[in-house]
This record gives sequence, C-alpha cells and structure tokens, in this order.
Amino acid sequence: MNTLPITVSGFTVLPVTYQKSTHIIYARPHAVSKSAKSKNRNLPDGRTLFLVNVPPDASEREISLLFKSCGTVERVVFDHSPEEELRNEESDSDSEVAEEDVEIQDAEGQPEEQPRKKRKVSKEKQPKAPTVTPLSTTQLRTLRNTGGCAHVIFLDSSALDKAISGPIKPKSWPTSEEPRGLTHYMALHDSCRPPLDTVRAHADSAIELYDYEQAKNKQQAAYRKGEAVVDEDGFTLVTRGGAYGQTLGGGVGVANKKFQETGKMNNRKKKEGKEKESFYAFQKAEKQRKAIVDIKKNWEADKARIEKLKESRKYKPY
Amino acid sequence: MQGDGSEGADEDEWGGFGEDDEEEQDSTTVVAQAEHGGSNNKSKPPTGQELRAIQDASLLYRSNSFKLQIDALLPNVRPKGSQKSPLDHFLMTLHTFLRSLPSIPAQHPLLAYKSLGKQGVAVPYTLPFPTRETKWKVTFEKPTDITLVGSWANKISVKGKDDKHFGVDIAVEMPESLFQEKDYLDGRFFFKRSYYLATIAAAIQDEKSALNVEVFYEAALNDPRLTTIVLRPHKDDSQSDFSNLHAQVRIIPVLPSPSPIPFHRLSPSHTNIRTSSDDPAETQLSTPLYNTTLLLSSLPKADLLTNHKLKEISPAFQDAVMLLRVWANQRGYGEGSQLCVRGFEGKGFWWAALLGLLILGEEPSSTGKTNVRQKPLGRGLSSYQLFKAALYFLSRHEFSKSAIFVKSSEGHTFPPEEYVHHHSAVFVDSSSRVNILANVPLGSLELLRHDARKTLEILDHPTSTSDDPFTQVFLREQRHLSTRFDVVLRVELSRAKLSSSVASSSELDHGSSDNALLSSLSTVLHHGLGNRTQAVVLLHPSSEVRLISEVYPSRLTSIYVGLIYDSDHAFRLVDHGPSVEDQDSEEAKQFRNFWGEKAELRRFKDGRITESVVWEVKTSDERAHIPSMVVRHLLGRHFSLVNEDIQTWQAQFDSSLHFPDSVLDLHESSRGSTGFKAAISAFDNIVKGLKALDDQLPLALLNVSPVSEYLRYTSTFSPLPIPASSSLALPEPLRYLPPMDIILEFEKSAKWPDDLRAIQKMKLAFFESIATVIMKAMGGVKATVVVGETSTKTSAIQDQASLEIMTPQGWAFSARIWHDREATLLDRIINDKPRNRKVGQITDVEHNPELHEARQAKELYTRRFIHAPQHHRAINNLCHRFTAFAGTVRLVKRWLASHWLLQCHVSEEAVEIICAHIFLSSDGVGTSVTDASACVPRSKERGFALVVEYLKEWEWENPLFVPLYSTKDSIVSTKPTGAVVSASSRGVWFISTEQDTEGRVWTAGGPDLIVARRIRSLAVATWDFLCGIENSSGFTVKDLFIHPTVHYDIIIELNSSVLPRYFQNVVADPGVWSRKNVSQGSDMGTVVRPGFDPARLFFNDLARTYGETLKFFYDPYGGNRIGAVWIPTLKNPRLFRVLGGFSSIPNKKENEKAKDKGLVVLNERAVLDEIERLGAGLIERIVLQNS
Repeated sequence: MNTLPITVSGFTVLPVTYQKSTHIIYARPHAVSKSAKSKNRNLPDGRTLFLVNVPPDASEREISLLFKSCGTVERVVFDHSPEEELRNEESDSDSEVAEEDVEIQDAEGQPEEQPRKKRKVSKEKQPKAPTVTPLSTTQLRTLRNTGGCAHVIFLDSSALDKAISGPIKPKSWPTSEEPRGLTHYMALHDSCRPPLDTVRAHADSAIELYDYEQAKNKQQAAYRKGEAVVDEDGFTLVTRGGAYGQTLGGGVGVANKKFQETGKMNNRKKKEGKEKESFYAFQKAEKQRKAIVDIKKNWEADKARIEKLKESRKYKPY
Repeated sequence: MQGDGSEGADEDEWGGFGEDDEEEQDSTTVVAQAEHGGSNNKSKPPTGQELRAIQDASLLYRSNSFKLQIDALLPNVRPKGSQKSPLDHFLMTLHTFLRSLPSIPAQHPLLAYKSLGKQGVAVPYTLPFPTRETKWKVTFEKPTDITLVGSWANKISVKGKDDKHFGVDIAVEMPESLFQEKDYLDGRFFFKRSYYLATIAAAIQDEKSALNVEVFYEAALNDPRLTTIVLRPHKDDSQSDFSNLHAQVRIIPVLPSPSPIPFHRLSPSHTNIRTSSDDPAETQLSTPLYNTTLLLSSLPKADLLTNHKLKEISPAFQDAVMLLRVWANQRGYGEGSQLCVRGFEGKGFWWAALLGLLILGEEPSSTGKTNVRQKPLGRGLSSYQLFKAALYFLSRHEFSKSAIFVKSSEGHTFPPEEYVHHHSAVFVDSSSRVNILANVPLGSLELLRHDARKTLEILDHPTSTSDDPFTQVFLREQRHLSTRFDVVLRVELSRAKLSSSVASSSELDHGSSDNALLSSLSTVLHHGLGNRTQAVVLLHPSSEVRLISEVYPSRLTSIYVGLIYDSDHAFRLVDHGPSVEDQDSEEAKQFRNFWGEKAELRRFKDGRITESVVWEVKTSDERAHIPSMVVRHLLGRHFSLVNEDIQTWQAQFDSSLHFPDSVLDLHESSRGSTGFKAAISAFDNIVKGLKALDDQLPLALLNVSPVSEYLRYTSTFSPLPIPASSSLALPEPLRYLPPMDIILEFEKSAKWPDDLRAIQKMKLAFFESIATVIMKAMGGVKATVVVGETSTKTSAIQDQASLEIMTPQGWAFSARIWHDREATLLDRIINDKPRNRKVGQITDVEHNPELHEARQAKELYTRRFIHAPQHHRAINNLCHRFTAFAGTVRLVKRWLASHWLLQCHVSEEAVEIICAHIFLSSDGVGTSVTDASACVPRSKERGFALVVEYLKEWEWENPLFVPLYSTKDSIVSTKPTGAVVSASSRGVWFISTEQDTEGRVWTAGGPDLIVARRIRSLAVATWDFLCGIENSSGFTVKDLFIHPTVHYDIIIELNSSVLPRYFQNVVADPGVWSRKNVSQGSDMGTVVRPGFDPARLFFNDLARTYGETLKFFYDPYGGNRIGAVWIPTLKNPRLFRVLGGFSSIPNKKENEKAKDKGLVVLNERAVLDEIERLGAGLIERIVLQNS
C-alpha cells in the first residue's frame, strides 16, 4: 500500500492491518478552541489525539494497545455524537448548556453509564450522596457506528508527537479480552438478566439517589417566593408565573406562550358585518350562474383526468 | 390542447360506426361541444344542451367520471371503423362466391367423406357415425340465403380476450331441398350440415376461389355438431384484405325458414337418437342437448332480429351489451387461450339475450307461482344502468331453482316443465325454442352469480377502496385462479373414464366424449360438495380453430377445478344421508352408490342413525382440505382417477408453515400441548396467577393485555413450548423459544416518582418484587428481570426493563409495565421547551438531544403501550371473524420473511394490517363485512394470492386506509386525505387506521424507498410465479419461498449449528441438528436462554453500525445468510470529512496532479474484515458477489 498518502486534509493517515485488508485511522492532535476550553477540561490540550474512523468495535484497551509503542494512554473518549468535535473546531460562538452533561455521559461509554453519571455528578456536588449498585459487572463491547471518532489522551505530549509524526508503519489491530460475536451475544443476553437481588439492590439504591437529589434540588432551587432572579448584568429575569402562580420580581406582564414561541401577536379578527348573499336579484343570478359554471368546471376536470389516463393507455382492458 | 386531439380521434371512431345510430352521434357531439366550449372560454356558461349532457352523465351513470371512463373504454373494444371497408369488400366477394357454388349430386355419406378427403378436407361427422347400411344421402346445393348475423351485424362486437379475433358471423341458409322431415333423427341433420360445411370449406380452400383466406374448422366446446368454418385473411394488402381489422369470418350453416324439420319433434323430452341396442330402457332416454343443438341452427337469424328490435327499443342496448361482455371477458366467461369458465364458449349471444330479458321481460310460465317475475325495465335507461341491472339479475337469480323464459311473441313453443326436467339451467330465448344455457354447468352459473355479487359490492360501496371501481370492474383481468378460487385442483383427464352404463348414451347426447365426461364430472362434484361450496367451476382454455383436414378437435388433456367455499359449511366433517329407517329406499341406495365405500351407517350423538360420510382429519390444517378431499374421493370413485391425476397445492402451502418432522420428533419427548390454543391458555394461567398475587404486590393489577402474535393466531409458526428441563437436551438449532409480550397495567398511584429516569428504576423494583412473589406462589415458574439492553442507543428515560416469566410447561412471557404518567412527563419535555430555555435563546429543535430523546421515547411509548394492545385486540377479532385471515397473515409473513424483508424492514403489524385490508376492503364499513361477503377469501392460499396481487399494484404514494377497529360509518369520513412523505422519515408506506390517522406507527421505520420498490418487484415476480399454476403442472409452492441471492453484493453465511432458530428455516437441513453435530453446539453453555437469537442481534448490530454503508437483509425465521448491498451513493470517491460516517481509505491517485484533493473511498475490504470480526463464532464465511 505504498500509494497511501501521509496526510489527508490535515489528518495523518494511520494504516491498521486487518486479517485481509488495511483499515485507515485518521489522526491529528486535538485542538481546543478558546471558548470550549473551559468546559472541555476532560480533553487536555497538547496530549490529546483526535482519531477519525475508529473501528466500530474498538474498546479502550484495544486503542491503548494500538498506541502502546508511542506511549502510555491515559484514557480514551469515544464520541458517539461527533458533532461536538466539529462544533468545537469550526464554530466558536456556539455554546450549549445542556451539552456538558451529555458529553460526560458519552465519555463513559459503559453499560451502566446512567448510574455512574449520577454518581459522578453527585460526587462533585456533595460527597454524601448514596451510591448506586451496578447491575452487571461483565465487561461488554459497545458497538459504535462505523467511521466514528475518538479522543485518545496520552500521559504525556511526547507520545502524541510520536503517534502522528515520523514514518508510520502499518500496525496490526490488537485484540482485547472482551468477547466478540457469538460469545458476546451470549454474555449480553446473560448480563441483561442479572440475579434478582442485584436488581433489587440496584433499584433501591437508584431510587434512594433520586430521593436524595430531589431533596437537594429543593434546597438549591433558584426560585424563592418573592425574590427576583437577577443576573450579573443586573437584569431581572422575567418569567411566567409557573408553579408560583405569579410573576416574580413584581408586576411585569409576560407575553403569552404563543408569542414566546412564534413571536406573533394573537390578533383577534374583528367581526365583519355580514353581507347578505342572496338579497339582490343580481346576486341570485350570479349565484346560479356560478353553480352552472361550477358544474361544467367539474365536468371539465373529470374529463381532463380521464383524458390523461387515456393517454397512458389505461382504458385498454386487454 | 392535447385533449382536443384525442377527442377528435375518438370522433372518427364514432363516425365510423355512423349511419344508423343518430342518437349516439348526438350525444357525442354534445359532449364534444361541451369540451370545446370549455377549453376556449372557461367562464362562459354552458349551453342548455351541454348542461343536459352533463346532468345526464351524473344522473344516469354512476358519476361524471364513470360516464367519461365508459366513453373512453368503449372505442377500445370496438372494431376500428376505419378498417372496415376491406371487410365489406371481402364479404361481397364471398357472397358472390357462395351464391355461385355448383350443386353436387347426392351420394352416400361415406363416399362423400372419401371424395372430400381426397381434396384434403375432412367432413366432421358427428356421433353416431353413419354406416354402410345408411339409407339417406348427402348433397350440396348453393345456399338460398346468406346473411350477416350476430354481433357484427348489430354492431355489438367486442374485442376478445387473449387477442382473439372479432367474429363476423355469416349465416348460410341450406336449401330446404336438402332435408327430409325425418332428419331430426339420429344425427342425420348434422351429417348433412357437416357435409354442407365441408363442401363450402373445400370450395373456399380451392385456389380457384381466389378468396385468399385461410380456412379452419372451429367447434364451440369441441362439439362437432357446432362446427363452423372460420376464414382468416392472408396479409396481401389487396382490396379485400381485412387483416388489419383483426377479425375473422365465421360461416354458420342454418336451417331455412320455415324449417323443413318439424320443431315440435325437438322439445327437450323427445328422444331423437335411437341406439342400435334393443334394450327398451335405454332408448327411452331423451336427448335434450341434441335437440337443443339442432334448434340452434335456426337461431342466428331470429337472434339478429331480436337484437335489432332491442336496439330500437332501448338506445343504450348496444353499449350495455358491450360493457357486459367486457366485464364477462375479464372474468373468463367467453373464449380465450387462458383458462376460461366452462360452458360460455360460443355463447356471445347469451349476453345480449340476457339484456333482452331485462328489457322485454319474462314470459309467464304456466307452472304458476309467478311472484318473483322479472318485470321489463324502463327503456330509457343508460348503458350503465342496464349493465348494473344485468348484474343485479345475475346476482339474484338461482338458475338451479327456477327457469327463465324470455318474453316471446308467440308464447311458449314447448311446455316449460319439459325444460325444467331435462336441463339443469334454463334460459329460453325470445324465439322460445332454444335453451341457451343447456350445456352450461350449474357451477359456472354459480360462479357468474358470485362474480356479479362481487362486482355489485364494489359498485355499491365505493368509499372503501382507494382503487377506482371502474378499474376493478372493467379494466382488471380477474381470471387468475389463485385469487379467484379458494382451492384449485388440476385434474389430468387422460385416464378418466365414465362409468360404462351411462357413457354411450350420454356421449351421443353431448356430442363428444369430453363433453359427456365433463358434464358428468361437474354434476357429480356439484352434488357431492353440496352446500360446502358456493361454486364448483370447471375451467379450461376454450377450443381453438383446427385445420379443415382434421376431422375432430383435439381432446382436453387436463382441466382445472376451482372451488369457492361457503365458510359455514365447507369444513363440515360429516355428510349425512338418509336415516336408517329408509335403509332400503332408492335414496339410500343412491347415497351408497354415490359415495362408495366411504358411506357407512353411523350412530350420532343426538341418537340419529344415518347413512353418512365421515371425513377424518387430524389437524386443523387438514380440516381446511376437506373439500378437496371430497373432490378427490368423488373423482376416484366415479371417474377412476387416481390421486396422482389430481393436483392440489394446499398441502405444500401448509408445509411452509410447519416445522420439518424431525424437529417435531425431537420436541416430541417433552411436548405437552402446543398450538395457539395452548399458548392462550398458558397466558390465561399467568394472568390468573398474577391476579391472585394482588395483596402481595404494592399496587393492584388492573389489566393484563397480550400483545404477541403468538397470542393472536398470526405468528407464522404455531407456538411450541420448550420446558426448561428439556431445552438443554435439544440440539442448539432447535432451542429457540419466543417470549410472548404482555403488558401489565396497575392501578394509578401517587407513589410513582415524577421523573422519567426514576420511573424506569421503579419499574425494576416492581419487577423484582413480582418475580419474587410469583416464583413463590406458582410452582415451577421461573421469573427473571430483564434490564434493558445497555447499548449506547437506549436512553435512560424510555421504557426498557421487562419481566421474563417461564412456565413449567415451557412457555415464555415477557411482561412490561404500562405507566401512563410517562406520557405526561414526555409530553412536558416535548411541548414545553420554551420554558426551559433562556429567553431569547434560539436552539435548533432537531439538534437538541434531550428533545430528540424524549420524542423517541414518546414514540416507543405510544407504539408499545397504546397502539400495540389495540392492534392486538383488533387482529384477534379479525381472526375470529374470518376463517382464512390468520392463515393468510401467516403465509404472507412467511413469504416476506423468506425473502429477507420481514421484521428487518417490514413490521409484522404492518403486514397484519395489509392482510386485513384484503379482507375488509370489499366494503368500507367494518360491521357488514362478514365471511359471507363475496370478496372475502376463504382459504389462506387465496388470501395470500390477493395480498401479493395487492402489493404488486399498491402505489404507496397513496396512503392505505384500513378500517381495522371500527365499525361505524362515521369513521369513513375521517379517512386521511393523503400525507406528505417528509424527507427525514425512513418509511414510505402509510397505513392508517382509525386509531392512527397518520399511518406511521408501524411503518415509520421502513420499508424505505429502496425496500418498498423491492417488495413491489418481489410481488410482481411472485405473482407471475403464482400464475404458473394455470400454465403448467410443474408448479411447486416451495419455490415461492426460495430467495434468489444473485442481486446481493455480499452474502454473509452464518454457522447454522449455533443458531437457535435455524429449525424455522424454509430449507432447514435436518443434518444440522442430527446427533453428530450436537456436540459442537454443546459449548453454548447450560443456560436456558428464552428468546435468544444471536443472528438477529448480530443483524441489528450490523444494521445499526453500518446503516449508512450497507443495506442488510435477512430472514428472521432461522435465516442462515445475511445479504447486503452497498449503498450506491458511496460508490464514488468523495472529500474526506470527519463525519463521513463510513470507513474510508484515501483514494488511489490517478496522477500526480490530483494529489491534494484529499479524496477518500469506501474501504470495502476493511469493512468486511470488521464484519467478520464482529461476527466471530457466528459467521462461516463472507461471499462477495458481482465484484
């Protein structure tokens, strides 16, 4: 495969040999845009390698093994919705609040992502939160879409250089111990059916966590009766009354929901004076005339339709 | 204007007809004016005349467009007027020629035969053949009169089916001097007729005639007594070459009038063939058919006059006859090279006579009881009204019960009772001499009645079907056996024998042995099947022309028998005969004689002891075969036909829904009760068990609804339980046990958390407690909580967990909890988005993951908890309402599955609804469709054929509406007006019901455009294949289910021995699970895995992972191959993108210049290697095709 270019659109081409063919992984150092910097601290600048076209069944372990020769891999972050990567690189202005949550979730990529996420979130906020017992301990492969991306975070930045510069030799795709194929499906089937006590423990702890967070949220709720929400620029947030039955921050009228969504005023139609329709003789005559013309129009329409069908030779019965 | 042009052309055709039908010309000109006026100036009000034309169209016809459609249709079935002049020229020549034929002196018939034979012309003598002792002579003299008769003369000819020629009938009157009074005896008239005919044929064929036509004999129904000469032009572009007209001239010798043969000798009861035997009993048998056939020779001219009169009386007569004949031709009542309904050959004049009856009314028969007599119809009726009246008459009249005599000027010629005694069906024409239906089997008339009913149903309930009724009635060919009959049998006739006692006399009466045989066959079947069937029909291609050197037409080698069931009686197990007291009566003897060794004296539960015939069946499938068993038995008994001579395809269809015997044997050891009934009772037990737990559960159980095809009779395979104990003993390819889905509904409670994620966790806790309690309460039951599949795609807010319950008998259930609060919470996320957002922030709704997630969850929720249970109930009802419904669904599912489309592309529910459409379509209002409705198939084979036909023609651009649930007329108005395919949605099918007006619930996920087209072409191919039943004996049903794989790029072959579902495969190889291979499968572990289907899981993973690269196909029923095609858009090199969504490799550069384009191509090899890696242990090999 000496015809392979070294780079494509700024990505280094990393050939990986499969059993009978060569798979290509495209790599380049992860570039963190300024605005995204603050929140993407999971992907440290300088030692993160961005990979495109990762094999769909790749596990963290396999990627680590692949780059073993370059240096130690701290962790691998698979993007199952790679839009973020693009967004970070292409448009700086875009910012979404909800994203962060999702990204952490993605980063986990583990079967029990849900409970873990909860745990993590809560850990950051209060150490006393109850932990959720995991449902299953079996390590299973997660299949991602083909042509997906991943971030590889090395322990130090020299490994990153090693990975993408210099002559690149095709490496063979390593295997890790997670089952594949038939054994994978059997394991999956079994892991979906954990013992009842595990289910119980998991469910109980999850509910406990939920209750705990409920309580915590209540404490931290931004809305207090009678207090206005003022942001750092000094603007008062005016919202619909919602649960509190009245607008916060005192007597400001709030546009209705429809206006909020569409920006259109609900202009009520004034009642138009009813004009009598068959009062004058000419009106009656016109009406009749119109009815007759309509009859003919329908006839013409039917006729045209049949003509059209006729042209398609539809009326040849055999 | 395009319209004007073609209108002009039409007018030409009209004009060609011209001369004497002023009225029609009028109406067309009016229409033409209306159009011209309209196209020139739209707003100009129409003239009074135009208005009248328009008004008439909508009042006298079904609708404006129906009238216009009729107008568009008729010119296409008429002979082209512009082509007529060569024919006229030819007819003149022929006339002169015939009038100038020289006389031939009288000679002995056998001598005449020989002398004509020398010229290469055979004389088609009839039975009984003349002998040397014959005293009378045959002779020829030029015809006294030559008349153009029949449909051509009256301008009511209609183009024939299968490219048959227009018939131009010429009645050639044989001179009176040829005949003697006694010629009605012993076929003497027919000999003279034959000789006359042969002489004319010889003269025309002679080169000296210079007529330049091909001469043939043709005999309707292959009855030599009805032989006629057919002349077809050679193409020579001469003045009289009418080959462009696509017509043939038929020469019919007729009796002179007044007839030299006394008609009173020819009444149905007279015996006119005296057989040589001296047995007095035999000579007593009357010869009704012989007499009728003789009388037919006097008919053509009378018929001409009657029809002319009818034309005068009723202006729409012509068009009505044509409509009726087009209708009849489309249904095989007439000539055709395909299979036609027996008895209607050469009966073109019957259709006119039928309308004549309606217009003229009925001659009161002296038998009295004239209460339901046909009154003459109004004469100003339109063609459509006359047509419909004819259908109405046909649908109502029972020919087997009452005779019809058309009003005649002279009253009855023969006593009406005579007809009734000697003919099965009586329809005496207006000359009051001939029973036109004399040789039409009753079964054919029953079919006619059935078809008329069917058509009326379509015409009377137009709202339901999206299809145009006009197309259904006139344009679509309806002859296909598989959609027409509930069961079709092919009978080889070569070994058929009539029992000798009746053979000779019946042959003489019928004119040929074939006719005698078929008539007797029809009678026997009709009698034997009784009320099991609505119609028993014999079908065969109509007779062909033959060379005039051939004396006799070729014999029929095989016929088809089609049955239409009466579902109330068709599957009756016992046929009762006379009771024991009448043991020695004539009736009892007949019964025993009729049924042979099958008849036996039996005592029944109600105490009766009767002669009876009992049909023994083992399974419900076999029960559906009873009518064909009856046919087989009767044919064997009365016509010494063995089983190999009679072919049916039911058993083959059945076997496609059955497991191979070796599978059943292996299951046998452990098997308790199987089948749908057993599955349902297992379900009932579970429900009972769950309800009994009420006080031990945190909330009371309100309702348990089944949502599984196994619990509504529509799963392809009948349910087969596998007890846990024996599961491990089974070889791996037999282990698949489908879990049946059920839904638990608990009482409302405030205890549920108000958060979607927490609700899912709560469900887990709930399941856990149910599992613990139920295992304690119900002995042997094993329950496991199945936590949702934890792949990246399932979101935490959607319903995912279920409870798997295994009963000791081996049934598996999968229960889910329906909590309606989920819907509210999801709606809150979906609808109340603006509140959660900061003011002024504009977010793209499509890219909001939370919203997207909520929408998906909501969709799943609605489908799973709202629609699925409703659907289940509706389908379950249909299964009870229509006997053949469940079977149809099962066959269609099997068919789609075996062609790798079911489940992966077409949901089972969608299939069920489409099948329901076939059953419900006959009428829009659910309630009135019962099994009795004419359109409803009563066997699964016919249902299957109808579904295939539907899929073949369904334009899915138009949504399908199926009144699945309803029952009320009002619903029809909510019919969707047509949805727009949004670009984002995958599926292109819209199947709406009352509960789902958008029609997307079951088809949102597919089939997409590619698959939908594939289904259509598959249906076309299958349809063509099904039509093969009609053409050859080599049709095997199994081939319907063999999937051709040539058009796949890739075939992934799986290792059959590790697939638990392999035993369901269409062509499962028993070797895979035979003992020697079992050891390999034993490493599957010692766990029972209900519902474990690795092939399916693998397929799903592939489809998800490589959805943008490849399209996958696979048979969910034990398929051991996965087919895939590359998505065509990926074929070309494209620019490298981060989100390319496919595995790429940099394009090989063609030259140095192209260097930095950064183009990449699909890395096909690597993808395949990955697939092979993903399917380790499952995949045997990957085959590349067409590369």
